Amino acid sequence: SGGAGALAQWVLVELQGEVVPRQSGGLAGSLLGDLHYTSEGVPVLVVGHHILYGKVVQLEKPFAVLAKRGGAPQPSPAGPHGHYTVTALIKTKLLFKTRPKPIITHVPKKV
Amino acid sequence: AAMRSRAEVDATLQTAKLNPAELLPAVQCLSFGPQAGGGECCLLQLEPGLCAELEAGHSLVIRGEKDEHAVLCSKDKTYDMKIADTSNMLLFVPGCKTPEELNADPASGNIIHSQVAGFSNNYWELRRCRPKLKKLRKLLMEDPYDGPDSQKDQTSTFSKYSTEDLLSLIQASEEEILHQLQVVDACKIEGYWRILDFDYEMKLLNHVTQLIDSESWPLSKVPLCACLEELGSLEPREMIEHILVTYGRKYVDAGEVFFEMREDKICRAIAQMLLQNAVKFNLAEFEEVWQQSVPEGMTTRLDQLQGLALVDKSSRPETIFLLKVEDLPEDNQERFNSLFGIREKWTEADITPYIQDLCAEKQTVGALLTKYARSSMLNGVKVYNSRRPIS
Repeated sequence: SGGAGALAQWVLVELQGEVVPRQSGGLAGSLLGDLHYTSEGVPVLVVGHHILYGKVVQLEKPFAVLAKRGGAPQPSPAGPHGHYTVTALIKTKLLFKTRPKPIITHVPKKV
Repeated sequence: AAMRSRAEVDATLQTAKLNPAELLPAVQCLSFGPQAGGGECCLLQLEPGLCAELEAGHSLVIRGEKDEHAVLCSKDKTYDMKIADTSNMLLFVPGCKTPEELNADPASGNIIHSQVAGFSNNYWELRRCRPKLKKLRKLLMEDPYDGPDSQKDQTSTFSKYSTEDLLSLIQASEEEILHQLQVVDACKIEGYWRILDFDYEMKLLNHVTQLIDSESWPLSKVPLCACLEELGSLEPREMIEHILVTYGRKYVDAGEVFFEMREDKICRAIAQMLLQNAVKFNLAEFEEVWQQSVPEGMTTRLDQLQGLALVDKSSRPETIFLLKVEDLPEDNQERFNSLFGIREKWTEADITPYIQDLCAEKQTVGALLTKYARSSMLNGVKVYNSRRPIS
């Protein structure tokens, strides 16, 4: 259901390939990267030793983010039975499709 | 993990040989939130109009039993749901800012920490579909209403269905369900939707048509009050009114309620009553009996029977038999298989009443025939037959 009050607007970040945790113990809490924009508005994502260039896309077909009530596992292909609430709407995505540009480091910078 | 500092961000920029002068001052440090890998969130791609509906506060409902493919229903439309896989990773980030938003809010500071709420490599796609309404008739036909004197009702173990029951069981939007209840002439009795048993319905109709005849009322001006008065001792008043609503058009004239009786619908019902008693009829004989059976002043026509009966022009003599479109399968391919099983070759005129309801929003009967049938010429007439070999 939609529910009263304005729906939150989130943003989709689309990356090529898989996101793999650097340390064991899963992704929760770990860093993804730094998101910058050039003065022309081009998104630049620094992930690990890679620089990703992307673009801001207004979605022709927005997404709704559905959260399953009760916190059950991912809906099965047979059908998303159960109750869902619409948590947020997504009308914009940051699409990173270009090949990551690796960062060559010789001396790690100490802070 | 500790949150990144501006100094760390600047150090990374330097290592990456990115020039801060070419970048907007604010950076968004993205990390994975605590729930991120939980898989509790999924993405639903919205068809036009649905986004606006959600923003206006309306609900979308996913309907379907375990053995049914799930559908999504808005207030008035139904959509099939299908998983679409993508080779990319889709991360959903609350509070992530676009360049415009950053520029519009200089007070946002030069470092923002945002958490990825979840991620997925698939999403649900929607495709508008016909509401699955055949089940509605099936449920209501489990226990047709055959009058207050029916012994059946008191001891009935069959389920009765309220509006809420139907909403949870039928894969269609509320508006589509309410519309279909009207189409099947259902009525609410003690809070439950009921379809009338056909024989009981004909008994009620007969009371009314007999009364119209004996009172010499014009078919276009049948007074409600008088009907209730005269027939109220025979049948419940709600049933008398229901039959008038079913077979007439209600209007008000000088403060009084009247009904304009619907000739086509009455003739059609009487035809059904005649045809259901045998496998098929001699057409000429049937047409004679039929005309004699309808109320005085009404004229029978074969086109009143579209989707109800089929004429066999190839038999000698010509015959007619009952074939109700609502008894045929709901699925497109199954419907065509069933029709070609009944008759090998169909003209477009004959088959149209039996496939009209399959048309999607902007689809034509012609398009359906192109997809599911093969055409050929027979005695100078275009006919359609199955694409598959007849076994």
